[in-house]
Amino acid sequence: MARMKFICDTERCIECNGCVTACKNENEVPWGVNRRRVVTVNDGVIGQEKSVSVACMHCSDAPCMAVCPVDCFYRTDEGVVLHDKDICIGCGYCSFACPFGAPQFLSKGAFGVRSKMDKCTFCSGGPEANGSVAEFEKYGRNRLAEGKLPLCAEMCSTKALIGGDSEIISSIYSKRVAVRESNGKYAGSNIFGWSTAYGPSGSPAPTPTPADKIPGAKS
Amino acid sequence: MKLNFKTLGVCLAAGVLLAACSEPPEIAAKAAKRPDVAPYMGADNSFMTKGWTPGNQGSWTEAINKRNQNQSEYLRVK
Repeated sequence: MARMKFICDTERCIECNGCVTACKNENEVPWGVNRRRVVTVNDGVIGQEKSVSVACMHCSDAPCMAVCPVDCFYRTDEGVVLHDKDICIGCGYCSFACPFGAPQFLSKGAFGVRSKMDKCTFCSGGPEANGSVAEFEKYGRNRLAEGKLPLCAEMCSTKALIGGDSEIISSIYSKRVAVRESNGKYAGSNIFGWSTAYGPSGSPAPTPTPADKIPGAKS
Repeated sequence: MKLNFKTLGVCLAAGVLLAACSEPPEIAAKAAKRPDVAPYMGADNSFMTKGWTPGNQGSWTEAINKRNQNQSEYLRVK
């Protein structure tokens, strides 16, 4: 079974924000919410400026899942962390727990009223029927069910952002590192966020939420 | 006897007030988490890629892995 992950190669990201735009357009993400964003450090410092595209990393032991008071999160067999917006109460605990700032909320109305949480779904929708209008309106496109990968990764012009089965994208990244090393360049072998999201190498694979363990779930 | 009526009144009032805090079954059922449909079952729209059979996990995995490899320019560009 595939274990879906993202890798952002900081040696390749050129801060074009194409991934951000693609995500917003593909999923029709509302104004004020960015499921993906590009963060740049050492801006303007020659040779030290690095950019990284950040979104939900679909962690192995997701802190958002752990802190949610209404237990609206679940993990699919592909390792994608998703949530049910019909259950979410918009409390914001997940946004405080997430080390990547993935959970987003629309600020609407007076007194700081927040919407239900919105985040990257790895382009795999939510609990509604795959590819349905209801699913699109709540969560955006379900590209995985269409046999595709997340658009942010697929359209990345420099292929800095790659997404998909962890073994395959790791091998792609390893080859790049090897080529850079052989060319006498900086290898850039540290993958941003992986140890935070998935633990040290050799960590056990995450367990998907079994349907029969979900209270009230329909089989 | 007078006391009993008072107690009964309080109990009835409490019952009415507490009923507002209860959750009707239909709302509770709606709030229960629903199991998701696996992506290999395919999507009900016209954007499906070709080359795999919806419902066949093996063919979906193969198609996704092939697409995944397209992200490697060392394989894609020769």
